[in-house]
Amino acid sequence: MTDTLPAKADPSLDAVTERLLTTQSPQRPLVTPAFDVEIDGRTLSARAGQTILEVCRENGIEVPTLCYEPKLPGFGACRMCVVDVEGEASPPISCSREAEPGMTVQTQTPRLRQIRKTNLELIFSDHNAYCLPPCQNRCPSHIDIPGFLKANTEGNFIESARIFKRTIPFPSVLGRVCPAPCEEHCRRDEVEEAIAIRDSHRYAGDQVLKAQAAGMKAPVPFEVQPASGKRVAVIGSGPAGMSSAYYLAIAGHDVTVYERDPAPGGMLRYGIPQYRLPKVEVLEAEYQGAWDLGVKLVTNAELGKDFTVSDLQNQGFDAVVVAIGCYDTNRLGIPGEDADGVIDGLEYLRIATLGLPYPGHAGTRVVVVGGGFSSMDCSRTSVRQGAAEVTLVYRRDMKDMPAASEVHEMLEEGARAIFQAAPVRVVTDAANKVTGMEFIRMALGAPDASGRRRPEPVPGTEFIIECDRVLLAIGQGPELSWTSRGADGVNASKQKRLAADAITFSTGRPGVFGTGDVRTGAATVVASVAEGRRCAYAVDAYLQGMDLEAIRTRQTLAEPQPEFLSIVPYTGETKQPRIRLKGMPIEVRKASYVEYEIPYTQEEAMAESGRCLQCTCEAIGYCDLRRQGIEYGTTLRKLEPGRDGTSYRSVNENRFTGINHDYLRDDSHAFILREPARCIDCGRCANVCKEVVGAACYDFMRTGFDTLVTTPLDMSLNTTPCVSCGRCAETCPTGALMPKPRVLEKYEVDESRCILCGICVDACPYDALRCGPDFELAHESREEPMIDLLAISSIERDSELSYVRRERDWLARARAQGRDIPATRLLPMLPTGVANGNGNGTSANGHGPRPGGGGGTHAHAK
Amino acid sequence: MELLAGRSGWPSILLGRAATLAPDAGIEAAEAAGAWSAWKNAVASIAPDALIASVERSGLRGRGGAGFPAGRKWRAVANADRGQRYLVANGFGADPGAHAERLLLERDPHGVLEGLALAAYAVGATEATIVVRAGSGSAAARLRAALAAAEEKGYLGSAVLGTSIRLSVTVRELAGSFVTGEETVLLRALEDRRAQPDQRPPYPATKGLWGRPTLVQNVQTLAAVPWIVTHGAEAFAATGTPDAPGTILLSLSGALGRPGIVEAPMGTTLRDLLDLAGGATGTLKALLVGGPTGGFLPAASLDLPLGYGTLTEAGALVGSGSILAVGSETSIVELATLLTRYLSDESCGKSIPCRIGLRRLAELGDGLCTGLCRPTDEALIRSLSADVRDAALCGLEAGAPNPLLSGMRYFADEFAAASAGGSAPAAAARPGVSA
Ligand SMILES: Cc1cc2nc3c(=O)[nH]c(=O)nc-3n(C[C@H](O)[C@H](O)[C@H](O)COP(=O)(O)OP(=O)(O)OC[C@H]3O[C@@H](n4cnc5c(N)ncnc54)[C@H](O)[C@@H]3O)c2cc1C
Ligand SMILES: Cc1cc2nc3c(=O)[nH]c(=O)nc-3n(C[C@H](O)[C@H](O)[C@H](O)COP(=O)(O)O)c2cc1C
Ligand code: SF4
Ligand code: SF4
Ligand code: SF4
Ligand code: FES
Repeated sequence: MTDTLPAKADPSLDAVTERLLTTQSPQRPLVTPAFDVEIDGRTLSARAGQTILEVCRENGIEVPTLCYEPKLPGFGACRMCVVDVEGEASPPISCSREAEPGMTVQTQTPRLRQIRKTNLELIFSDHNAYCLPPCQNRCPSHIDIPGFLKANTEGNFIESARIFKRTIPFPSVLGRVCPAPCEEHCRRDEVEEAIAIRDSHRYAGDQVLKAQAAGMKAPVPFEVQPASGKRVAVIGSGPAGMSSAYYLAIAGHDVTVYERDPAPGGMLRYGIPQYRLPKVEVLEAEYQGAWDLGVKLVTNAELGKDFTVSDLQNQGFDAVVVAIGCYDTNRLGIPGEDADGVIDGLEYLRIATLGLPYPGHAGTRVVVVGGGFSSMDCSRTSVRQGAAEVTLVYRRDMKDMPAASEVHEMLEEGARAIFQAAPVRVVTDAANKVTGMEFIRMALGAPDASGRRRPEPVPGTEFIIECDRVLLAIGQGPELSWTSRGADGVNASKQKRLAADAITFSTGRPGVFGTGDVRTGAATVVASVAEGRRCAYAVDAYLQGMDLEAIRTRQTLAEPQPEFLSIVPYTGETKQPRIRLKGMPIEVRKASYVEYEIPYTQEEAMAESGRCLQCTCEAIGYCDLRRQGIEYGTTLRKLEPGRDGTSYRSVNENRFTGINHDYLRDDSHAFILREPARCIDCGRCANVCKEVVGAACYDFMRTGFDTLVTTPLDMSLNTTPCVSCGRCAETCPTGALMPKPRVLEKYEVDESRCILCGICVDACPYDALRCGPDFELAHESREEPMIDLLAISSIERDSELSYVRRERDWLARARAQGRDIPATRLLPMLPTGVANGNGNGTSANGHGPRPGGGGGTHAHAK
Repeated sequence: MELLAGRSGWPSILLGRAATLAPDAGIEAAEAAGAWSAWKNAVASIAPDALIASVERSGLRGRGGAGFPAGRKWRAVANADRGQRYLVANGFGADPGAHAERLLLERDPHGVLEGLALAAYAVGATEATIVVRAGSGSAAARLRAALAAAEEKGYLGSAVLGTSIRLSVTVRELAGSFVTGEETVLLRALEDRRAQPDQRPPYPATKGLWGRPTLVQNVQTLAAVPWIVTHGAEAFAATGTPDAPGTILLSLSGALGRPGIVEAPMGTTLRDLLDLAGGATGTLKALLVGGPTGGFLPAASLDLPLGYGTLTEAGALVGSGSILAVGSETSIVELATLLTRYLSDESCGKSIPCRIGLRRLAELGDGLCTGLCRPTDEALIRSLSADVRDAALCGLEAGAPNPLLSGMRYFADEFAAASAGGSAPAAAARPGVSA
């Protein structure tokens, strides 16, 4: 043997040296020989020992990685960094492969993208987590729904209301009047039934109101900013105006609200009846939160009559927000519309909400025309005011009704409904008094160019309903005559609404903004509140001196488009039925203006909120997996209806569905939150913890599909040698390891006791403390409200699907209450199987829809 | 398993001595039958470089599965940076259906040790480890006894045959899953680190055990070296086929008259091999060639000769040298699924497409077996297989799609029937893999 070698003492020493050397790899000397490689058609200079990935990163070429930790050598677990090297059959991984002279590399071929996409799809097929709550996305104001439900579960209702108030100042009001579009997209429906989101914040809001009654001030969601010295006038005290005022006041501006009516509230006070929204106990109490912030109110002041926009600006208001809603009731344009006995529904409700009986209503036969909130309120109020017979007639189908959720309540209270019938004329007697109304049936016509089938009248199907009064509730538009005086530059849009930008809310006149129903047309309270809040942010930006472009960018960034990843549908949850609000007996409520829903008990509220699956991830915005999922097209902008037709699938189809893991979260550590269900087994935490920190708290456990990077035996992180440095959370590419949200207000160093040992300086992983003439203090708040990261979702009409779902829910509820619902009582459209085989809805006696007067059968048989 | 007699005229390179010696015969008997003579000869008169050149000329290829030319690997280790070098002999025997290496270690431990000594000398390694699977019967004990006897004689140890050559040899028993047999996993396991593969390159030849150049060689490969030294590279090159000279140990099992282990020259046809094992017991439907990551070949391919290129082309592997005969009562869909599931469970879980992708492949197979499948599933298996293979970190991941892919290639009808409604023939018969 020629080659005699010195004895090696301990091979493991060698290993340590080797590991130290490789650990230092990124700091290898810069004087190693350089050579050329070609990457994506560019000739780049590389140094010996550099990986392809390092060369790419140095030159701004983006190669996706998940398991690569820059402090350590390439690990090779995720296979995302594959690149094509000319002359090699299968693509090497760039995080490990060293660049060689003359190499020709491609980083983005279709084949590579396909491999990466498959990898991502595979990961998502075992990713039992959810990035962004579909409920929150669906809510027009993007309330942090899982956040407040979690606070509810913990019995922390004031905190829950505070979370709610970050996006909507009025949890109790919305807890009563909101149509709750969020619940349609709730993922819990994949387990059994959606969370009662609305009833849950109603409970939290009511606890605040109770505390307020006992002398406490309402919680304020953000720190109130110091006075800016700017003055803002808000015209209109409905939900849009008041939410604008609320957030503007928090931003430190001096806000005055001008209101035409003698009392504030807009439609909340003069449109929505007392039995749905108690005025003193709820509306006024909740508005108090705004007055507490210093918002001033001027009532009996009508824009266009008592003052103009110019007047306000001349008085020194720096910005004016117009939020005057919609008060021009639409006309039908049919013969007899001016007859004695045809009443404007809004006018009718206004009197009713004042607590006054509408003159001569008792004993009359009433026909209500329309399908929105006000038609429902007109019908149900008429029942309460003793009308002999109340018939609601709607041109379209029930599924098209914005207030379809109330239909069952209305029917139960004794009104009846006829769908798909359009008014033809009002029948009058010689004295021009109403005696009836003629309708014609509508049916879906042939598909038009866009493939949609529009309802068309069916000739020869006219019928008359005899009645004494007709209440028109077919919608309203804004009243804009005030724009003609002292409001140069403020204009009406093509749709006869106030022309204001959907993002900046600016009208054509500098400093004048428009928001709420007056801008969008009649919508919902929640949409108006969302409008009001966004408008407040725009006005705030304007008052800070930003120009429109800057405001637009800021507003857009605050609410980017949503992307839903094709993550596994929820599987591992035990069923636990929804806890429903009970209502007062029909006999009592139909004669009463008292709120008819009986609120939750505390136990019920906590239990219901506890059903929430918490479909949210704190890592959103930082998550590499999510970012790559979006880049590689495993996403969906909108949720789609599922195959069974009764739920929104949370995701689009992943090619690889199969069993998936559901792991318990480890909440035990003070600083690090572990969510193993979000772990992709990239190994970064284990490697960093072992090689860089030296603690080795994590490792790969088990084998095969069940492999998981976790603590030994999955025990609590507290039982490992964890030094709380947070490096694992820092390196984790997903939300599996996260710094726990905490509010560190400030750490005080008691200098009289400090012995200047410097241990804190060494230990701090963020170098927040340094040795200097004095120790510096660090304080940091890791808490960030998630709300504004989420997206705008368009306000859409209820789809057929949510209708079907509501019907199903209603049926379940009725049956649970022991009410036997014959299949014939159900409205059609419900797929068989959902309502175990109910057929077309023919009429029946009882509270349900009966044949219309004048010989018509009700018109929704399909 | 029984040692089957080969055809007369076939060279006995690996088991020539074993066939004639009693299993527990001592070193004297082994030496009388020729053991250690090549080693003595080499130490006395062959320079390491000449030894490497001779192995290069012999055309010997690795028997651990991939068939990499042994001489080239030796050269790479010899040329790697100076300093400590290691040799690791892979006798792990990962494939549960292959028993040849165990038999070799039990019957002729001296042959393996001698080959190991020659290789270590050639590449300049002073420390060598032989890995045996924990719990594999008397293999480790016999190896240790042989090692002690060889050290006693001064063939191994601190001053080999009175020269300054040092070679310390240890026997390590390792427990672990299928993937433990992969070379980088084996090295990590020897270092008491996480038993997971590392990305290659760098290959162990440049960066192996403890980060040092390491020759990892299958025990069967090593056992051929003394014969080459004794009979000459040219004589070895004349056996087997020009592309793959020499003989190989094959484990023949399944629906055969006389299952057993045989030493056959490369290039022997599958038909000849089956004949040696007593032929198929019933109607032969397929052969699973190469172990769990191998592939199915139809009965019609019996004239295929054993060879690295020929088998890979046909969708199978030389692999671990195990050949399983599958009778007509067995469902290929089920057997392929079973193998996929086995490989998924044996995966170390490091590579993400391996951990999840193999499971999904197994689930797709399950779908075909139970009729709970979509018409697009076969296409999905193909495309997922291609992606998993191209993204593969180690040979397990790259080979795991083979059973399903080769099954679909040769038994398309069976898969189509399963796809059309779960009517996979003989769905009830569970295949006997570990025959
Ligand atoms: C009967 C009825 C029931 C409804 N029920 C529901 C429901 O259950 N759930 C739901 O989500 N939505 C419901 N809606 C819709 C909802 O009330 C409105 O979409 C929402 O109130 C619009 O808010 P806003 O602030 O834009 O307008 P408004 O609430 O209408 O507020 C506008 C305010 O401006 C004042 N104003 C108007 N003109 C002037 C002027 N020239 N000068 C000064 N002040 C002026 C008004 O007096 C009013 O206070 C209902 C609507 C009606 C009509
Ligand atoms: C999953 C897997 C299992 C393996 N199992 C073994 C084994 O049991 N024995 C073996 O010698 N080689 C096995 N190998 C091959 C080794 O990685 C390596 O190539 C071989 O030991 C080198 O020796 P050779 O060149 O003599 O074949 C396996 C490879 C893979 C991918
Ligand atoms: S870890 Fe990433 S991909 Fe997973 S839920 Fe969180 S944000 Fe979404
Ligand atoms: S389960 Fe909770 S977080 Fe998920 S959609 Fe429903 S309410 Fe929202
Ligand atoms: S927890 Fe560890 S292994 Fe899991 S994704 Fe995060 S860094 Fe990777
Ligand atoms: S394999 Fe290269 S970054 Fe994960």
